[in-house]
Amino acid sequence: MSTSSDEDDVERIPLCSRPEWSDVQPLPQDDGPNPVVSIAYRDEFRETMDYFRAIYAADERSCRALELTTEAIGMNPGNYTVWHFRRLVLESLNANLHEERDFVDRITFQNSKNYQIWHHRRWLAEKLGTEAANRELEFTKQVFALDAKNYHTWSHRQWVLESLGGWENELEFCCELLEDDVFNNSAWNQRYFVITRSPLLGGLQAMRDSEVCYTSKIILADPHNESPWRYLRGLYKGEIQMLISDNKVPELCLKVLEINKSNLFALSLLLDLLSRGHQPSDELRAVIGALRSSQDIAGTHGLAATLCLVLETVDPMRSSYWAWRRTNLPTGVC
Amino acid sequence: MDPPPPLRFDWERHLLFLEMIVDGLPLEYETQEINRLTLAYFAISGLNLLNALDRVQSNQISNWVLSFQVHPIRETDLESGEFYGFCGSRSSQFSSSFSEVSNKNCSHLASTYCALAILKMVGYNLSNINPEAILKSMRKLQQHDGSFVPIHFRAETDLRFVYCAAAICSMLDNWTGMDKEKAKEYIVRCQSYDGGFGLVPDSESHGGATFCAVAALQLMGFIGEDISPNQEVIDMPLLVEWLLQRQSGDGGFQGRMNKPSDTCYAFWVGGVLKMLGLFEFINKDALRNFILSCQSKYGGFTKFPGMKFPDLYHSYYSFSALSLLGEPGFRSLYVELGICSDCNG
Repeated sequence: MSTSSDEDDVERIPLCSRPEWSDVQPLPQDDGPNPVVSIAYRDEFRETMDYFRAIYAADERSCRALELTTEAIGMNPGNYTVWHFRRLVLESLNANLHEERDFVDRITFQNSKNYQIWHHRRWLAEKLGTEAANRELEFTKQVFALDAKNYHTWSHRQWVLESLGGWENELEFCCELLEDDVFNNSAWNQRYFVITRSPLLGGLQAMRDSEVCYTSKIILADPHNESPWRYLRGLYKGEIQMLISDNKVPELCLKVLEINKSNLFALSLLLDLLSRGHQPSDELRAVIGALRSSQDIAGTHGLAATLCLVLETVDPMRSSYWAWRRTNLPTGVC
Repeated sequence: MDPPPPLRFDWERHLLFLEMIVDGLPLEYETQEINRLTLAYFAISGLNLLNALDRVQSNQISNWVLSFQVHPIRETDLESGEFYGFCGSRSSQFSSSFSEVSNKNCSHLASTYCALAILKMVGYNLSNINPEAILKSMRKLQQHDGSFVPIHFRAETDLRFVYCAAAICSMLDNWTGMDKEKAKEYIVRCQSYDGGFGLVPDSESHGGATFCAVAALQLMGFIGEDISPNQEVIDMPLLVEWLLQRQSGDGGFQGRMNKPSDTCYAFWVGGVLKMLGLFEFINKDALRNFILSCQSKYGGFTKFPGMKFPDLYHSYYSFSALSLLGEPGFRSLYVELGICSDCNG
């Protein structure tokens, strides 16, 4: 995790040899007697932190202090004390925050899973205000190009949208990402976020039908992808009555079972519907009856119980869970 | 053809790995320096799980941990908004002569959780550490929405720190350190449409966040081993399905949907199932095989199979998961706090 400074190839001059630091007495780390998990610091790491300690203790908010934090961050981007002090120095110096953003852009790519860097970005964006929105959204896209599931980047993007705006193209962005990789669960999550939170769309109620349509197509194209199934279910969050009475859902499950009769997501969604009181159609009864025969299931079982028995076979990793579900079905379930 | 013999947990190598770490870590750990107390927690709790805590000196450990505590100088300090807990490392610790100037106190919620966990494990009496100062000042870290910042100056807020706060209150057996009701409200907002929990509201459901959510709710007493659908705090059936579907075809657990299995989620996700009384529903053999396929010849465990070098974080959570699996010779865990059961006196 090295700094992305332009002087990568130049050998580092120790701080104790730099004339501009000659007036500073570095503060060594006092590890105390009998330390535990001592780290074998390199000399340059130790020295940089010793000088940082001195500057921080003296609360010196100068240009050289800023540069020292740059060096310290380069060696240890996770040190929140250094980042905190850097922000104090930037404020005191009334520094150019666009330049600061350029610096953060550079180091983010090498440290894209670092909490402190993303937090610092957020601080900067807050200071720069709504004019920063587009730039932040663009930047997150660049990170997604390298890692489309980076958790920090997604949190940052959501924060930018909620705090600074820029919702106009977000749904389209989700569509693009899902075209790139329909298994990208982060993109599905973002889609849900847009549907429910965007001030430009009508909210979940208004978007439900079109989203069910969109998701169903994707499920039919690859029913083994768990993400769209969960998303579909999520479209009915807080609306159980609607879930169990909307025929589109069981019809989709049946279509999937025609292609692949052991699809565990279709089977478990049907089980979920029946458990919550869905009244099965004749077609659903027939399909479950056929499954019972094809799995050689003996004995009399209701529809939901039959689904549990089938799931025990087609989802063996969770067979004891499906067995438990069968013995814990709500009373009165088909 | 006979199945291959079950993989063996390599006791000696792991014990040596942990013992060496308690002494010192190589320079590659420089970048984790700020979390040195957390590294110590992994090493010491690891040894404890392997029933080898006698290989360290309790007094040495407790004295070292206590040296990270930041004490208020004046009574009024506790009203200042600064947190008086434990620092995570020497690089965020400044001697009291400098803490006269504000903003030099860098004690942190996560370090405080680790410090208390270690002290408990080595049998140190926590009433000796001025718990009132910790709790009173910790309350000031709680935000209006119920979440916590980990440190008094600006920092990210997310479920990790709600968990740390709850664990701290639990270990100190005193809930004045937080507004539980508000914390619960925040946690509930973090449950995603698919049943898992994200680190902040609206974020993608994630194994680590889910652990923090459920463990905190359990510690605060809002849920028990209560998976009835009538329980109203969170959507339990959806959570249960989410949790169980994290076990992939290779037997390991993934942290998020459609991502590869990773040893640490054997604990984060497996631990939630254990807390909810549902651990029996997983395929334990498959999980054990996955974890052991990540066993390193250097001792410790890697994140994925086929990686060359182990790291302390994945090693510790692999040990924890093996404890959940009842691996012979391991001590049992009090999952909610991440310490051995018998330490939670």
